Amino acid sequence: MLKWIRWSGLIGFSVISALIVCFWLFSAGPLIKMAIEKFGSDAVGAQVNVADVSLGFNPLSLTITGVQVADKDAPMENMVSFDKAVANLEPFPLLLGKAIIPDVTLQGVALGSARSVSGALQKAPEQAKETQSKENETTPTAKAAETETAASSLPSAEDILARETLLTEQRGKAFETSLKQHQTKIDDAIANLPNEKALKEYETRLNAIIKGKFKSVDDFKQRKQALDDLRGQFKQDKQAIANAKLAIKEGKSDLSKQWIGLKSAPKEDLANLKGKYTLDGAGASNMAALLFGDDAGGYAQTTLEYYEKIRPLIVDDEAKAEKQALKDKRLEGRFIHYATDRPLPDFWIKQLSFTMSLPKIADQPSLGEVAVKVVDITHQQVVINKPTRLWATGQNLKNMQSLQITGELDHRTTPGKDVFDLQIEDWQLSKVKLGLAGLNLMSSRTYVQAGVQFSEGKLDMTSTTLFKQTQFDSKERTTLAREMVLALANVERFTIEANAKGKVTDPKVSLKTDLDNQLKSAFNDRIDQKQKELEAKLAKKLNDKLLSYAGGYEDQLKQLNLTEGSLGDKGKALEKLAKSEIGNYQDQLKAEAKAKADKEKAQAKAEQEKAKAKAKAEADKKQKELEEKAKEKLKKLF
Amino acid sequence: MLGMLAKFLKVLNSDAAPGQIALGFAFALFVGLTPFFSLHNLIVLLLICIVRVNLSAFFLASALLTLVSYLTDPLSIMLGEYVLNHPDLLATWTQFYQSDVWRAFKFNHTLLLGSLILATLLFIPMLVISRFVIIMYRERLMKWFETLKISKLVKASKFYKIYEKFGA
Repeated sequence: MLKWIRWSGLIGFSVISALIVCFWLFSAGPLIKMAIEKFGSDAVGAQVNVADVSLGFNPLSLTITGVQVADKDAPMENMVSFDKAVANLEPFPLLLGKAIIPDVTLQGVALGSARSVSGALQKAPEQAKETQSKENETTPTAKAAETETAASSLPSAEDILARETLLTEQRGKAFETSLKQHQTKIDDAIANLPNEKALKEYETRLNAIIKGKFKSVDDFKQRKQALDDLRGQFKQDKQAIANAKLAIKEGKSDLSKQWIGLKSAPKEDLANLKGKYTLDGAGASNMAALLFGDDAGGYAQTTLEYYEKIRPLIVDDEAKAEKQALKDKRLEGRFIHYATDRPLPDFWIKQLSFTMSLPKIADQPSLGEVAVKVVDITHQQVVINKPTRLWATGQNLKNMQSLQITGELDHRTTPGKDVFDLQIEDWQLSKVKLGLAGLNLMSSRTYVQAGVQFSEGKLDMTSTTLFKQTQFDSKERTTLAREMVLALANVERFTIEANAKGKVTDPKVSLKTDLDNQLKSAFNDRIDQKQKELEAKLAKKLNDKLLSYAGGYEDQLKQLNLTEGSLGDKGKALEKLAKSEIGNYQDQLKAEAKAKADKEKAQAKAEQEKAKAKAKAEADKKQKELEEKAKEKLKKLF
Repeated sequence: MLGMLAKFLKVLNSDAAPGQIALGFAFALFVGLTPFFSLHNLIVLLLICIVRVNLSAFFLASALLTLVSYLTDPLSIMLGEYVLNHPDLLATWTQFYQSDVWRAFKFNHTLLLGSLILATLLFIPMLVISRFVIIMYRERLMKWFETLKISKLVKASKFYKIYEKFGA
C-alpha cells in the first residue's frame, strides 16, 4: 500500500502551498489597497486614497488607515475621510470571492475636510476632450439656469419684463406690422387720386366745353366727345377715390381692433405678472419662504448632494441587471440558493459604526457629535432579504437636547424606497441670520420633526419645525426692519411646515407657517406699498413698450381721418363738376325749348283773345241790333 | 504540449505501472470536466501529489478533457439542475447550505456539481478501461505499431527526436 504513497509529492505540495500563502500574505495588503483605490475611484468619480492596508489573522481582520474620498465637484475637498477603519472578515466566504464583514469601526470620520492635492481623476486626453465638449454644451444652459435661479430670488421690474413673454410686445409687433402694411396700401391708393390742380384743370376744361353756344353740329359733336372723355376721366378718378376710401376704411377698422387689444395688453400683462409673481394677497402668506427659504434650501441641497453621491454605492441597478443576465445564461451554470439564516451576497458590511462631528451651521460652533450606526450595507439586498438601516444619535450635544436620525434604504423590490426621519428636541438656536431686512433670530428653542422618502429619483419630504420663546432683532433701521421687529416682538412661538416634492435634483419646495398670520397685518402695509411700487413700475414700463409700438399711431389716425375727409370733399367736388356740366347743357336745351313753347303759346293766346274779342263785338252788335228791332216793334205796338 | 505527448508515449511504452497511468487519467476527469478554480480541485491536486499517479498521463488527460468539457457542460448543467432541485434532496442541500465550508466548495452551482457527479461516475470506468487498454496496447499493439511504415516515418520526424530526447 505504501508503494502508492509519494512522500516527495506531499513535501512538494506543502512547499508550493506555503509559498502561495506567503506570497498572498505579503501581497494581500498592497493588492487590497490598489483595489480600494481603483474601484473606489471608479465608483465615486474622484480619487480615493488609502495610506495603508494590513491584515490580521486572529480573528481575520483588515485594517485600513488614512482613507480620503475626494469630492468630484470640489477636488480640493474630501467628500468623506477617516483615519482608521478596522473590519473583521469571515474567511470561508472569501474563498467564494464574497466579502462578508461582520463589523466595521471607523475612527476620525470627517466630512468636507481639506486636501493637500487635488482629488480630480486624471483623464485620458480623449476623455478629457469629451468632457470639455460636454461642459461647453451644457454651460449655456447651466448659466441660464443659474441666472434664472438668481433672478427668481428677488426679481426687479426690469428682470420680470425681460424674462416674460409679454402680450404688449406680441401685440405691439403685430400692430406695427399691420400699420406698415395698411400705410403702404393707403399711400398707393392716394397716389392715384386727382390733386387740387387736376380738379381746377377739370373745371377749366369743363367750362370750355359747356360755355358758349354751339356754332354748328360739328362743334356740338366735338364738345360732346370732349365731355365724354372728361366723364371717363371723372369715372376713373371716382373709382380711385372709392379705392382710397376703402383702403382707409379697412385700415382704420383693422388697426382700431388691434389698437383695442394693444391698449388692453399692458393691463393683461400686469394681471398675469401679478398672478405669477404673487404680488397679490396670496403672496403675503409666502413671506416665510423669504425668511427661511435660503437656509432651508441650502441645507436640503447639501443633504441631497450627499444622498446622490452615496446612492450609486448602495444601489447598483446595472450590476443587478448584469447579474440577472448572467443567471439567464444556462451554459455557465448558476448558483441555486436555499433558505438560510446565513445569506452570502458578494459584499456585505453587517454593521458599520462611527462617530463624527456635526457640520457647522453658518458661524455657529459645532453642535457636538453624532454616533452613526449603519447595518446591512450591501448592493444585493435581495440576497440577504434585509434593507440597509441607519441610526444616528447625537452625543455630547451643545445647545441641543437630542438628535435622532433613522433611515431605511430598501431596494429589495423595484422601485426601491429610501426613507429617513429626523427628530431634534430643544435646539437652542441663537443669532441665526434670516436673510430678510437684516433680521436675526436671536434665540429660540426649536423642535424639528422631518421625514423624507426617495423613490424613482423623486423625493417627498415633510417637516414641521416648532420655534418657541423666540426673540428677533435687526441691525437695519429700515421701515420694513423696524415694522418686522415690532411685529415679531409679540410672537412667542410659531411653526414652519416645509414640504418638498418632485425630482431629487429639482424639488418643488413649499413653506407654510402660522407666523404669516401673526405677521400678516404688519406685512400687508409694506407688501401693499411694495406691490404698488412694482405695479407702477411695471405699468410704466409696459406703457413705454406700448408707446414704442404704437408710436404716432394716433397722429397717423388723425391724418387718415383728414385724408378720408378730403377724399370726401374731392369726391363731392368731382360729382358737382360732373353734375353741373350735365345740368347746364340740359337747361340750355330745355330753356330754348321752353322759350319757343312759351312764345308759341303766347301767340296762340293772343290770337285766341283777338278772336274772342271779335266774337264778343259781333255778339254785342247783334244784341244791339236785336234790341233796336225789339224797340221798334214795341213802338209799333203802342 | 508536444513534449508532454512525447513523454506520455514514453511512459506508455515504458515499464510504468498501467494502474498509475490509468489513475492519472481518472483523476484528470475532475480537473478537466469541472471548473478549474474550485476548492475540490485543490484536494485533487493534493491527491495527485501524494498518490503515485503518473503525472504526465494526468496533465495530458486534463488538457484533453478540458476540451471535452465544452461538449459535456450542457449535460453537466442539466444534471446539476436536476440534482440540486430534486425535492428528495432539498433538505440535504439546505443543510449543506448552512455550512460555510460546503458553500466554499460551491456545491450549489449547477455546472460544478453536475460535472463533479459526471467525473465521479466516470472515475471507476475510466480507471478500469484505461488500465485495460494500456495493458492490451503493450501486449498486442506496441510491437506491431513499431513495425508500421508510418511509425518509421514518425521516427524520422522532429516529433520522434523529442520523444528520443525524453527517452534518452
